[in-house]
Amino acid sequence: MIERTPVLNIVTHAILFAGLAILVIPIYLVVVAASQTLPDVMAIPAKLLPGDQLVVNLKAAWQEAEFSTKFGNTLILASGVVVGKIVLAALTAFGIVFFNHRLRMPIFWMVFITLMLPLEVRIVPTYAVAANALSPFQAILDWTGVSWLVQRTTGIEVALNWNLLNSYTGLIMPLVATATGTFLYRQFFLTIPDELVEAAKMDGAGPLRFLRDILIPLSVTNMAALATIMFVVGWNQYLWPLLIITDPAYGVAAVELSRLVPNMNTTGGDVPNWHWAMAGTLIVMLPPVVVVILMQRWFVRGLINTEK
Amino acid sequence: MRRAYFKNNWVAALVVAPQLLIIFIFFYWPTSQALYWAFTLEQPFGGGSEWVGFENFQYLLSDGRYWDSVRISTIYALATTALAMGMALVLALFADRQLRGYKGFRVGLIWPYAVAAPAIGLAFRFIFNPSAGVASYLNYAFPDIWNPVMNGDHALTMVIIAGAWKQVSYSFIFFLAGLQSIPRSLVEASAMDGARVMRRMWDVQLPLLTPTVFFLVIINITDSFTDSFGIVDTMTSGGPARGTNLMVYKIYEDGFRGLDYSGAAAQSIILMILVVALTLFQFKYVERRVHYS
Amino acid sequence: MKLSLVSTCVLASAAFSGVAFAQSAEKIKFEYWYGLSGQLGDVVSQTCDRFNASQGTYEISCVGQDGYANAVQNTIAAFRAGQHPTVVQAYDAGTADLMMSGEFYPVSKMMADFDIEIDWDNFFPGISNYYASSTGELFSMPFNSSTPMMYYNIADMEAAGIATPPATWEAFEEAIKAIKASGKECAFGYEPSTWIDMEQFSMAHGIPIASNNNGYDGLDSEYLYNTTLHVKHMENIKRWYDENLLEIRSTQGGLNARDSFAQNECSFYFGSIASHAAVGLLVDGAFDWDVAMIPVYEGTERKNTVVGGASLWVLSGKSEDEYRGAAEYLKFLMTEESERFWVSNTGYIPVTKTGFAALNAEGFYEKPPYKGRELALASLTYTDPGPLTRGIRLGGFIQARSEWTNEVQAALQGTKTMQEALDTAVMRSNDVLAKFARTYRGKELP
Repeated sequence: MIERTPVLNIVTHAILFAGLAILVIPIYLVVVAASQTLPDVMAIPAKLLPGDQLVVNLKAAWQEAEFSTKFGNTLILASGVVVGKIVLAALTAFGIVFFNHRLRMPIFWMVFITLMLPLEVRIVPTYAVAANALSPFQAILDWTGVSWLVQRTTGIEVALNWNLLNSYTGLIMPLVATATGTFLYRQFFLTIPDELVEAAKMDGAGPLRFLRDILIPLSVTNMAALATIMFVVGWNQYLWPLLIITDPAYGVAAVELSRLVPNMNTTGGDVPNWHWAMAGTLIVMLPPVVVVILMQRWFVRGLINTEK
Repeated sequence: MRRAYFKNNWVAALVVAPQLLIIFIFFYWPTSQALYWAFTLEQPFGGGSEWVGFENFQYLLSDGRYWDSVRISTIYALATTALAMGMALVLALFADRQLRGYKGFRVGLIWPYAVAAPAIGLAFRFIFNPSAGVASYLNYAFPDIWNPVMNGDHALTMVIIAGAWKQVSYSFIFFLAGLQSIPRSLVEASAMDGARVMRRMWDVQLPLLTPTVFFLVIINITDSFTDSFGIVDTMTSGGPARGTNLMVYKIYEDGFRGLDYSGAAAQSIILMILVVALTLFQFKYVERRVHYS
Repeated sequence: MKLSLVSTCVLASAAFSGVAFAQSAEKIKFEYWYGLSGQLGDVVSQTCDRFNASQGTYEISCVGQDGYANAVQNTIAAFRAGQHPTVVQAYDAGTADLMMSGEFYPVSKMMADFDIEIDWDNFFPGISNYYASSTGELFSMPFNSSTPMMYYNIADMEAAGIATPPATWEAFEEAIKAIKASGKECAFGYEPSTWIDMEQFSMAHGIPIASNNNGYDGLDSEYLYNTTLHVKHMENIKRWYDENLLEIRSTQGGLNARDSFAQNECSFYFGSIASHAAVGLLVDGAFDWDVAMIPVYEGTERKNTVVGGASLWVLSGKSEDEYRGAAEYLKFLMTEESERFWVSNTGYIPVTKTGFAALNAEGFYEKPPYKGRELALASLTYTDPGPLTRGIRLGGFIQARSEWTNEVQAALQGTKTMQEALDTAVMRSNDVLAKFARTYRGKELP
């Protein structure tokens, strides 16, 4: 602030409050609905003040949607995505920054291209692959005639099968298959001074030592940034789990939430339990919001750096 | 670029192998499968397929229903982007003044990013429900004025509002970062030249934000083609009368519900091309001019 | 010799993916995926528990799929991965896709293979015809069979001066006008439904939905419902909507038609007899209500309606033990006790003649809460199934239903006339049929 502008300050605050209000009002309405009884929720016109059923509804929603299991699963999913991305991104960036080989650029581009196509755009065939993750290799063996050869000589039919539906691996792997974070690390690694590398080499340290003892400790803040973003992304996954999880034991929070209210595809009819659904919304919203608020510095940093 | 390198290229191969393997299995292979299916007629249970060349694409591109979906997706993309970015820009400009309560406002405007799409969808579906939510007040006063259940335009409006809500925080973060990377000296110099706050916003900050604006426009539009699934699925299931049948939703509907794998694959290819084009455009023309210190 | 060479990764992934190996030490397990949800889904789950409790050799594991469409979709995906269940509850719309895939074990063959005696003629022809091959061999087991009924609020009708439930659509229009005149806000809670408005309507009136006798005679069928009495009916619906004689009550908007009726908001609604139990539970004696057969237009000779609901398919690619278990489960469902359990707890009707006769004999259908359901059977057996009232065998029918629904919604919104809407729906549905025929080129309807 350079000069004193009391009127403009008031206007500024007003605008900021208005913005905040616009963002918060929907959540307020959710809280109101989550704290009412079913007749109150369905009352016309709607009642706008909170009721007293909040805890009751939260409990009911928790049980109805079996959130305890789902939260566990979602936690595993989110953690898996976090770990997967951090490890892979670091390794790959390491491999393309600190070595000088001809394939550096091609590999870089191959990884880069994956940024262009998020999962939603390739759901149908990715689903088929998740059904049998070894099908690419099966196909390759078939085309190159290797499986035919094996069958002729030993009589064994090669049938590779690795089913990832209804599994944590299936939930996590396809989400880890993009290059988010690789560039974050690449940018960062590019700023590592040559002298450090030289020094490590002179000390007789191999590349892996260098990675473990020097690079990783230096990239802790980047890791925190990436971790925060990936946790939120993983927690909020909807479409992919919707497709590959049919076993309720593996369900995730976001998908389960949508089941609290019937929609056009439900058969057998149900009364919409809006109060429970809204309570469920609050429950599902909570963990990532808490993470973002607590880690907001890293979160913002991660967001900005991963987009570069 | 001269750098110090490690010599051991086998290690290099080892470290990049996991990621390459995963992206092969879960990215390149599915994408090529989609290409294959798009050129054939694939049976749902996998019993066989028939090569049809470009027919699936021809059918799609001559299908009024498909172009409806494209039109709706475009409207959605532009509307949510404009709403979200407009609001985010205004908020960022004023937040950047860093008056009292700055930290609080910042947190308050960032957290919506963490809310999952289906949660947003469900919340807004309730709020805009013609018979149960807040919107019922409108209908009480003016009967039948708001009906997203039967009216495709109303439904689309509802979905757009939900989508914009979701995207405000993201743009806000980038705008704020962009503003904060403008050297103080520039702003101070302009103040010394007699420019008041609003003038400075208009003449100094906004122009320097233009690269960020371009960047965000592309990102928002690209994301709106893909992120919107959770919102549409929980709010309207693509209806009514296909009024909210976004491209990504249509792929899901046709492929998984209608059991038309080939049609869905062809649509996926087209959507892929669209997203790749947008992303390439962003990287080539916009990325160069954006810089964060 | 054929050995399956499974990658070592599978062992590792088993730890991660929690794949349940089907053989447990004691019981032979097999899976059954069902589509019903809500109250009906709960009862399905109970039938599984009852089966498990009734014997000790097999254990059935029932997984609700939260909707018929989901059940079919998930089954296909699982099938492609070799992870499909042994039994799946597939709805009428999915029949053609399943049939053409050939990936099922016809139940008539399966029961014969395992020496289980089933009297196939005991099924009501209106039910078995839907799921039989052209030679009369049953492919899937009828399970939850229903047919649409007209639910009406007796008190509201009396207040409007109507003594008997309307048997014709003309009388129906008079009725809702009278009810509106007597002060009730919502005379008719309506939700567009292909099953009721198009399919069953056509059956009851004996008019075709598509050529080739609704697809039974070949894969080269075309839809015809935009040229029949159906158009006039939908135009009437639109007119009643414009004149405020009916209100749209849909799940998407909150209270659907059934719940609107049950909460005494609307006087009429058309729904499956399957909801009879749920409506009874929801109404809980608050007002008098009953069901009647769906009306027909004056001058029409009423024909039988066909079955809705779903049937149980046994999929290929499972082990013999699992098939035995499935056969036992199906046999269990056919016992008189099971049928009684099923029809007592849901609104569904018995699928066998003897089952119905037994229940009738003991006066099951004479008192609430079951009174009225026998009318569903009356509707199903009004006449013997003719070429046009056997059922529907059209590929891609799920998409066709979606086309109809979306077009009708557009017409109700007022963006096009009903004739235009139905014409568009027919045109697009024919495309789907053509694509279906090409996808299965060279194959024939079994």
